[in-house]
Amino acid sequence: MKIGVFVCHCGSNIEATVDTASVAGTARAFPDVAYATDVMYSCSEPGQDGIIQAVREKGLDGVVVASCSPRMHETTFRRAVERAGLNRYMLEMANIREHVSWIGKDREANTNKAAELVRLAVEKLRRNRALFPKSFDITRRVLVIGGGVAGIQAALDCADGGLDVVLVEKTSSIGGKMAKLDKTFPTVDCSSCILGPKMVDVAQHERIALHAYAEVEEIGGYVGNFEVKIRKKATFVDWSLCTGCGLCMEKCPSRKSHDAFNEGVGLTTAINIPFPQAIPKKALIDARFCRQFLKGKCGVCAKVCPSGAIRYEMEDEVITEKVGAIVTATGFDLFDHTKYGEYGGGRYPDVITSLQYERLLSASGPTGGHVKRPSDGREPRTVVFVQCVGSRDTSVDRPYCSGFCCMYTAKQAILTKDHIPESQSYVFYMDIRAPGKLYDEFTRRAMEEYGARYVRGRVAMIYPKGDRLLVRGADTLMGEQVEIEADLVVLAVGAEAAAGSPALAEKLRISYDKYGFFMESHPKLRPVETNTAGVYLAGACQGPKDIPSSVGQGSAAASKVLGLFSRQKLESDPQISQVNQRRCVGCGKCALTCPFGAVKMIDVRGEPKAEVIETVCQGCGICAVTCPQGAVQLEHFTDNQILAEVNALCQS
Amino acid sequence: MSPFETLKEKIREALPGLDCVIGWRQGFDPLHATPFFMRAPEDVEKLVWSPLCVHNLSTYLPSFRGKKVGIVLKGCDSRGVIELLQEKLVERENLVLFGLPCSGVADLTKLGRAAGDLDRVSAVAWDEAGFTLATPRGEVRVARRDALADKCLSCQFPNALEADHLPGDPLPPATGPDLGDEELAALEAMAPADLMARWAAEMSRCIRCYACRNACPMCVCRDHCIAQSRDPHWLSQEDSPREKLMFQLIHTMHLAGRCVECGECQRACPVDIPILALRRKMNRVVRELFDYQAGLDSQAVPPLFTFQVEEANIKERKW
Repeated sequence: MKIGVFVCHCGSNIEATVDTASVAGTARAFPDVAYATDVMYSCSEPGQDGIIQAVREKGLDGVVVASCSPRMHETTFRRAVERAGLNRYMLEMANIREHVSWIGKDREANTNKAAELVRLAVEKLRRNRALFPKSFDITRRVLVIGGGVAGIQAALDCADGGLDVVLVEKTSSIGGKMAKLDKTFPTVDCSSCILGPKMVDVAQHERIALHAYAEVEEIGGYVGNFEVKIRKKATFVDWSLCTGCGLCMEKCPSRKSHDAFNEGVGLTTAINIPFPQAIPKKALIDARFCRQFLKGKCGVCAKVCPSGAIRYEMEDEVITEKVGAIVTATGFDLFDHTKYGEYGGGRYPDVITSLQYERLLSASGPTGGHVKRPSDGREPRTVVFVQCVGSRDTSVDRPYCSGFCCMYTAKQAILTKDHIPESQSYVFYMDIRAPGKLYDEFTRRAMEEYGARYVRGRVAMIYPKGDRLLVRGADTLMGEQVEIEADLVVLAVGAEAAAGSPALAEKLRISYDKYGFFMESHPKLRPVETNTAGVYLAGACQGPKDIPSSVGQGSAAASKVLGLFSRQKLESDPQISQVNQRRCVGCGKCALTCPFGAVKMIDVRGEPKAEVIETVCQGCGICAVTCPQGAVQLEHFTDNQILAEVNALCQS
Repeated sequence: MSPFETLKEKIREALPGLDCVIGWRQGFDPLHATPFFMRAPEDVEKLVWSPLCVHNLSTYLPSFRGKKVGIVLKGCDSRGVIELLQEKLVERENLVLFGLPCSGVADLTKLGRAAGDLDRVSAVAWDEAGFTLATPRGEVRVARRDALADKCLSCQFPNALEADHLPGDPLPPATGPDLGDEELAALEAMAPADLMARWAAEMSRCIRCYACRNACPMCVCRDHCIAQSRDPHWLSQEDSPREKLMFQLIHTMHLAGRCVECGECQRACPVDIPILALRRKMNRVVRELFDYQAGLDSQAVPPLFTFQVEEANIKERKW
């Protein structure tokens, strides 16, 4: 075998602390190395041409590029090697930038380490063999998980692009958090007026199949061919018959049910359509409150329903959908404000969250758009907004900025003045974060035109005084304590990952950060991709986001899906597990541990043997390390290759 | 009828429907029992049950896979069967399990130390207090504590944990000292260099006969053992303590979360290398990390054959 070694300077990134010429010189003595040189920028066009030329002129069979992390340029060099006429898997990279030059300043030590890494790559490459990807068919359908604005946008863009879309929404209506908002910043246009048409489009689009009040139960398969089990939770109403007339809600005697859509402000009926613009506009029985379920008798809704749609005996149904790609748009949840005991959230009725306030402002809310205090229904005169409740606070493990609270607080201050012209708003803030188009102008307007008084500082505590609330805090600009007697306190709660996000991430086999937000493939350059092929992210499930960004990501994810499906067939990575069936004793441990269900047990002349399903295997190698007798080997990461690397390192 | 006679009766009844029943019979000398495969009713008379029935017979079960067999089990042996069931290496419906309460088996190495030369022992007898060996030098009396295998002194499972027939009254767990723990504590107290030197010295006696592997009920790779394979080539044929210890470490790793601590590896070792300590150490790690002991519940999934996002005792996020 003839191996060529190319040691990259990466400008001064590597060359500054690694003597690349000396590394190349050392490499010439390694077994099978026929050619070694240092290159200024191996990823540049001349750099790649140099590799191709060397392969042709020196008759090389394999190439080692010692440069950066393969995450950046492995595909670049695979293509270059292929252009030179070699199999694209006859390439190994030694990461002498992230692993060497960037982390140490000792030039001599760095040079030695770089040479050792090159030696490992050479030993591995010597045991590589040509691999050929298999191509497979794609199911040209897409699953969108979550029917908030990001999911709606992704579903509509995919459907408009000619794809069949399966949209799964956890609650009984799409719309998500945006549907609960009264107005939207910075234009103060009505939220449901701009979201409503999109929701209707979803309902009417012939290519979108909407499963509301459903959750993803299980995801199997792989890019191009996922198999998704969806649990359609029992609504106790036959939605094919329900017309959404609302007669059941009028007559339902259980009028003390939790009103999730209105964030628990006010109560609702046990059979319920969450809001007038709901899509689908279908009724749903909350069995926790329904008398028929609690006491075993009632049946009022069944009696009044003109279409006879009530089904008390309904059970969950699990359906299976085949899709080729998945867009995850599961959004966010709000920080639990009761964690701040000093703010009295949950104990004082007039300390409410921003989203509860949003429902008070909304004409479709429980107060019909009249701002009334939850305690006594009185119109508040002084409203205090407290920002960063559950944002930028390490003491509650929320060090991040939720991004949109500054803006919605300004909006709510403006709306408060609109609703109650004689009112006065105070906003306790840490910094104003308004870096968007027309955003800063908007917060200035809240202060200058609407007279909201912004106090820079945190609130120390809130406690009742008579029927009002005393808000005590610091004004750090004035350097003094402030006390404000308020009628209503609105906590600008931050965003946190939606409940159940980690569990869904496990099902999707995507990464999530310590707060439960899903990890994008690259924070800058691959913002809607995940590291699992065929799974994309949209909206606040990836991190707190406002509406414009969420919509943008919905469209971006859709374009990724459309791009993926524009190919005739997909290619599978051939660096996957192989079972040597002569060595396999059929114990099945590989099948048990495979996280992808890629190992199946087959019968070979009466004996059980393991077999890897090539297109399902993701090459993670768990089976290979599980197999006691080494019958499962991961291509290009075989035991022998790893042992050769260890030997090269320990014996040199 | 004694429990043993009852058991023999049960075996006779079951035998027509079985390929064979695995038990013990008298071996080549008074001190040795030997594994015995009963196929005909008259074989059952030769079955023996004594503190010399040291072998864990569950080792044989995977080779009978697909056939209906019976097996006589001590408490510790039954853990091997359960682990095999957990790993689906044997099928429960093909097994008839005959359990006997066991109050401990002899450690022939210990007896040999007391008797001088085991080959010249002409008779052996035992009672509650110990063993009496007839040697050319006269009778040698060995106290129970000095004659039983270490594992038996602190045995927690004297009765088969899974059995179709379990005659006789169940025995309470043993209350003797845990010598294995004492051995581990002594090893753990050693400095790494001393420990390595000790293992190098112990392993230099190893003759690479792989008796430890062949006796292990959990070693199911048999002809495909990684120790003797060229591809993948984990071990060379070099005769060095390093390669020999490497095999022991591979065996230990392969037993992680599976080892039922029957001690067959060490018992089978012809040169008495105390290799069980390595497995015990791994078992302790598994117990601490996963609250798990192998071979107790045939329905449980061994911890390394499954995947939890958050392990209760592994605080990954706190690292």
